[in-house]
Amino acid sequence: MVNLFRPRRTTPRLERLRNLSLFVNLTPTELEIVDGLLHERDYQAGEVIFDEGEEGQAIYIIAAGEVLICRQGQSDAGRVAQLDVGTFFGELALLDNAPRSAQARAATGCQLIVFFRDDFVGLLDTHARIASKISRELARHLGARMRDMALASGVHQHL
Amino acid sequence: MTDTAPASYAVKESPRGSGPIVWASIIATTCLLLFFFQKILWLVVPFLLALILYYLLYPSMQALIYRGMSREAAASVVTLGFLVLLSVVGVMLSPWVTSHIAGWQDAVIGYVQGGLQLLDRSLRTLEAHWGPLARAHLADTVAGRLTQGAGSVADHLEPIAVGIMAWAPSLMLAPFLAFFFLRDGRRFQRFLGGAVPNAFFEKTLYLLHEIDRTSRAYFQGLIKLTVLDTLTLAAGLWLLGIPGPFALGLICAVLAWVPYVGSILGGLLVVLVAATDFPDAPTVAYWAIALFVVVRLLDDFVYMPLTIGKSLELHPLVTVLMIFVGGAVAGISGLMLVLPVLGVVMVIGETIGVIVTDPRLMARHRHARALRREQASSDL
Repeated sequence: MVNLFRPRRTTPRLERLRNLSLFVNLTPTELEIVDGLLHERDYQAGEVIFDEGEEGQAIYIIAAGEVLICRQGQSDAGRVAQLDVGTFFGELALLDNAPRSAQARAATGCQLIVFFRDDFVGLLDTHARIASKISRELARHLGARMRDMALASGVHQHL
Repeated sequence: MTDTAPASYAVKESPRGSGPIVWASIIATTCLLLFFFQKILWLVVPFLLALILYYLLYPSMQALIYRGMSREAAASVVTLGFLVLLSVVGVMLSPWVTSHIAGWQDAVIGYVQGGLQLLDRSLRTLEAHWGPLARAHLADTVAGRLTQGAGSVADHLEPIAVGIMAWAPSLMLAPFLAFFFLRDGRRFQRFLGGAVPNAFFEKTLYLLHEIDRTSRAYFQGLIKLTVLDTLTLAAGLWLLGIPGPFALGLICAVLAWVPYVGSILGGLLVVLVAATDFPDAPTVAYWAIALFVVVRLLDDFVYMPLTIGKSLELHPLVTVLMIFVGGAVAGISGLMLVLPVLGVVMVIGETIGVIVTDPRLMARHRHARALRREQASSDL
């Protein structure tokens, strides 16, 4: 008899998703559900991904290439960070619709995976377990960033 | 990254409500679509039924996917499950239908005659009170016209039965369409999103989600409206002492999916039942008419704006006006389709309005195109 509920075999695409820090704790079945919600976009070097002040609708995960985070229109003087494969940016868009705090621009030709906020909110309703795993990774990432910022600004507090 | 004040060139979120040009375009597009849909009603009706089925079956499919089933298998299982359920209900009802079908024609004829007798009695009562009506022989004239123009009830039953048979194949499309919506809906959404330039991508995703949200809200609103109509009518009919109030209320509420015309048909049905089951008490039929007028008013001016109108975030006045416009443009099909079509066109129109009037998004798009051209010609 065909077992419709057998554990899913992983595919190279799902393996690639699993290597992304945001989805590291998801099972193959959960990854497949999330995969159905993701979009892929290709950007040319120098292309603007989003602008500072724009309302954020989605989080971006770098599947290939590099992305520059900078002050609006100041790719050199206003450089904040340069991110590479496996990292993500624009994560606050998953939590609220506050304006983007910096501009994101493709530093090289790159491929991005896009996770839309409404899909994440839907996931909270329909698959709370998956959403909680993603939220935990997101919280961990934000915590690390806060610690880095505190260290950089010389504030020695337990964060 | 620290938060900074939004830059002036950044994309601003659209204010609630669009300008007059966008709204004029939305209404014109809605009318054009209604006119076009009227021509392909054989496809539009099963498409709408398939959408209702899609929103009904979607939670079950999601539950199966979460338990480890693939999307394709889950879509097949829930669609097959629905068809099996439909078949079981059909098989269970078939003995009852077979035993009663012979009596249906007589019952319909009986109810129509009951209605005609009520009409005749009412007109003769009016003639007794108003001399001019008596001198015009109103009751005899109307009875003569009805006999001459309407012919026998059996003559009308046959075309109705043939019409139902003719629609059956296209209605059978609905479960198949629903299956493909369930299986490929997400793929289609990604396909549409993939065809959009990067600069407009986030806005387009937002648009697709809004369309999904609007459609879901509309069909949920329709179900709420049906429940409200059923309960109000059932309560009223029960107070009047008419038999089977809940069943009659439900039939009338489903008929009310066709605005105005559906309610008139429903009202006629109950009046016929009241006139036939209470031949010696015509006041029951009059009260039934009064009940339907009240429910009609409640439906159009309270329930519909509160349920469907609210789900589409439409102003109640716009809802009512657009129902009239839909009826004028495309008749009964226009009445049925105007609100869902308007809801979807409204979301698309407002989003396109936001995109094409945003100079920053357009500039980013031009920049991306220039970069692609440059890259394509770099080694030439």
